[in-house]
Amino acid sequence: MGAMRGVNIGGVAAWAAAIVVGLVLGAASAWGALEFGRAGFADRIGQWSYSRAAGARSADPYTRAIIARDGLLALNAREARYFSLERDENGAPLRESCIYELMGADLAARWWSVTLYASDNFLAQNQDHAESVDSTRLRGAWRARVAPVRGEAANWLSSRSAGRGFVLMLRVYNADDGWRPSEAALPTLTTVSCAGDDS
Amino acid sequence: MSSIGRYVWAALIAGVLAHFAFVHFTPRVMMGVAIDRLGEGRTNFWRFGERVTPASRAIVRPSPDFAYSACPYDLSQGPVLIQVAPWDAYWSLSLYADNSDNFFTLNDREARFGGDVTLVRAGHAHPERASMVVESPSQRGIALVRRLAPRAEDFAAAAQVAREDVCASIEGLTHTS
Repeated sequence: MGAMRGVNIGGVAAWAAAIVVGLVLGAASAWGALEFGRAGFADRIGQWSYSRAAGARSADPYTRAIIARDGLLALNAREARYFSLERDENGAPLRESCIYELMGADLAARWWSVTLYASDNFLAQNQDHAESVDSTRLRGAWRARVAPVRGEAANWLSSRSAGRGFVLMLRVYNADDGWRPSEAALPTLTTVSCAGDDS
Repeated sequence: MSSIGRYVWAALIAGVLAHFAFVHFTPRVMMGVAIDRLGEGRTNFWRFGERVTPASRAIVRPSPDFAYSACPYDLSQGPVLIQVAPWDAYWSLSLYADNSDNFFTLNDREARFGGDVTLVRAGHAHPERASMVVESPSQRGIALVRRLAPRAEDFAAAAQVAREDVCASIEGLTHTS
């Protein structure tokens, strides 16, 4: 009797272990898909990634989960379009130790902006008041410096305390009818220099 | 089937279920947290957000160029009236279901004199004499107003205008009037 009870307990433990291992692996694979699979659920336009399904009721479950994590309360594409830039022209993550130049021209939209977020998806922890540039302040062909210090730049996005892996987000509100995002239309990021050897 | 094989199948099935449940519930959990943070236990009222700064931590990727007003809504007591006062630059009212879908948006080009929306649960009766009725696919969600206010003085003006916004259960309004 005691031996039979021992066998049953061992069997239950084995089933429980199998299910727990499955649950952990399943949850881990889902987390990995959302963390590392973003590119697969977004279009690539030049240096920018763009999810046309952001906020849409037709979004697939993965896109919906990624948008909820990276940009909860995003507007649908009829109202606004969101573009993210996370890597420089060489494919390296954006980092505070580098100086970048962002160049662009007016976009065919009612209003647009570029905002810098740290890798935690919130504004970088600095008091520079230089987290965003927008179309109310930039006209025609424009350039903005992305760096921890302003230097002589007329337009500046401060990366002070942004660390490694920060993100530039381009918001385009009420784009003109027929406007299609293209590599030529979107701003271009160029690395000017990097300090240290963390690249 | 060997006993080892049965355990492998059990792990595989549990893994697939866990994977899809994780993906399915992530936006719902995020929205639930956002509703709770914005409402702090209350619903159907506007909360005007402080100007977005590096200290802002309620919602990911907030824009520092907007003045935000958020109303965590709950339709369990019936329809909710949402009114938005006009603003002299871009503004929009957007409604989000509990799975994070943006199911309705109204902007100043479409509503020059402000927004006036009656929100009802999908499939429920529409109130009489409501000017614009919008059906929410979920009982709870978030209404969000964005007013373009890149400068500090714009933000202060937007804060004044936002005081005129309304987000309230029609049942509650009827009882108080």
